[in-house]
Amino acid sequence: MKIFQVALGILAAIGGFVDIGDLVFNVSAGATFGYQLLWVVVIGVVGIVVYSEMCGRVAAVSGKAVFDAVRERVGFKAGLAALISAQVVNLMTLTAEVGGVAICLQLLSGLPYRWLIVIAGIALLVVVWVTAFEWIERIFGYGGLCLLVFAVAAVKLHPEWGAVGHGFVPHVSTESPLLYAYFAVGLLGAAMTPYEVYFYSSGGVEERWGPKDLGLNRVNAMIGYGLGGFLSFALMITGGALFLERGIEPEFLGSITLGAEVPLGQVGLLLALVGILFAVGGAAIDTLFSGAYNLAQFLGWEWGRYRHPRGAPRFTVTWFVLLVLALGLVMTGVDPVQLTEYAVIFSAVALPLTYIPIFLVANDRTYMREYTNGRLANVLGLFYLVVIMIVAVTAIPLLILTNVGQN
Amino acid sequence: VSRLVAALGVLALVLSGCNGGTVDKHALKRDAEKVSSLASEGGLLADDVSAGRSTKYFVRVHAQELSRAASDLQDALGKRPTSLGTTADVRSLSRLAGKVSRELEQLHLHPTNRTVARSLEQPLKEDVDAADKLAK
Repeated sequence: MKIFQVALGILAAIGGFVDIGDLVFNVSAGATFGYQLLWVVVIGVVGIVVYSEMCGRVAAVSGKAVFDAVRERVGFKAGLAALISAQVVNLMTLTAEVGGVAICLQLLSGLPYRWLIVIAGIALLVVVWVTAFEWIERIFGYGGLCLLVFAVAAVKLHPEWGAVGHGFVPHVSTESPLLYAYFAVGLLGAAMTPYEVYFYSSGGVEERWGPKDLGLNRVNAMIGYGLGGFLSFALMITGGALFLERGIEPEFLGSITLGAEVPLGQVGLLLALVGILFAVGGAAIDTLFSGAYNLAQFLGWEWGRYRHPRGAPRFTVTWFVLLVLALGLVMTGVDPVQLTEYAVIFSAVALPLTYIPIFLVANDRTYMREYTNGRLANVLGLFYLVVIMIVAVTAIPLLILTNVGQN
Repeated sequence: VSRLVAALGVLALVLSGCNGGTVDKHALKRDAEKVSSLASEGGLLADDVSAGRSTKYFVRVHAQELSRAASDLQDALGKRPTSLGTTADVRSLSRLAGKVSRELEQLHLHPTNRTVARSLEQPLKEDVDAADKLAK
């Protein structure tokens, strides 16, 4: 029974791994550089496994989620800086995800976009309000599994498998090195999206993980995120095989679904649209809660998605306000795909602000007792600290120099 | 730190949003690639419609998105100042973007009509070639 539950959780994690940032950056990277950047996805996926395993372990042993630990470990001022940057990126991501839901609904129904923004907002509100959380996770996770259609599409597009294999070998492009670096940063930012980790560690605290659950934490992080990365490979291969040769720059969510439509027809198109709808909808809910978790944990409010709204009123008001703000922003006509690019790049900039405190706490015996980082966790943790710092420092210059990946 | 992040963010938004300056050779190449991309994607879509591989709503919505993007490029290229020696090519690209936009509009208006879709495949291919020529 336990194995069955773990399997269900893993399936949900695979389906829930991809969000609008992964969709945009993986397909665009494929369309621009073919399979050359596949190795970056591997680094990003291992990075999110390392980061989330640490956060899950901190949650299980100390009972503290990310922003609880951040405020306690680095103090109010530095913690506040981390909170503000996290919340700004969170709101940008949430706005992009809600816009993505509306676009998917439009591609499926043909109804006007602005109506669908309102419908998407109401639907998210109702789902969050009336559905038990474990069901939300499952419904969106399993729905997101429809994205596996891109794996079939990738095979049906007959990519050059030798070139795909070569893409897993780390190398630097001599042609357009700045653009290559921009996509590398974007892919890392998309794979290591911080809201996923805030959400994951808060979930661990809510489900009352203890040291006995550390094995489950490791399995969830490694297999769930690891296999989720498989979808990223499929998206990039599809982008490379379909768009690169034809000189197509996929600028719309509709362009991404062509990757499934061209080789698989209507069935492929519908599965891709449904998969994106669930993946992006699930990510919208995760982001919504992450924003509320962060604020509530930092300010010491009652919080929890399993609590009745009256039991955690400020937490409930926070996610409600975030949803209304995101809907308002989408209504201004901002392009969700473009906003995603900014959100991913800014999340890469903000990543060290929460990664460093968690890394410190994971090595602090007063919090972690005998469960501090082992040698492997520290080697990987330090490696990713360097990677994250390089990414954070270079992200905005690259955004400017490449004109948001246009040049 | 948060102030620095915010300032960098605003700077990035301002700098990366600048798209209205003089069209020089580099910008011409870039915009020609965009027109080529839109025409090429339109060609894929038309091909799928003519083979019955797509759905009515998807074609209607996506063709309109592509058509609007081409139309925006037509407007921008028709109005923006040009650097010495590029004027004729820039205006020619503007007209080409307009043509691509009108062809994609046909797909938007007739999302299930295979005959219309088939009749658009060749012109869109020619648009890709013409845009690629201007990009060189």
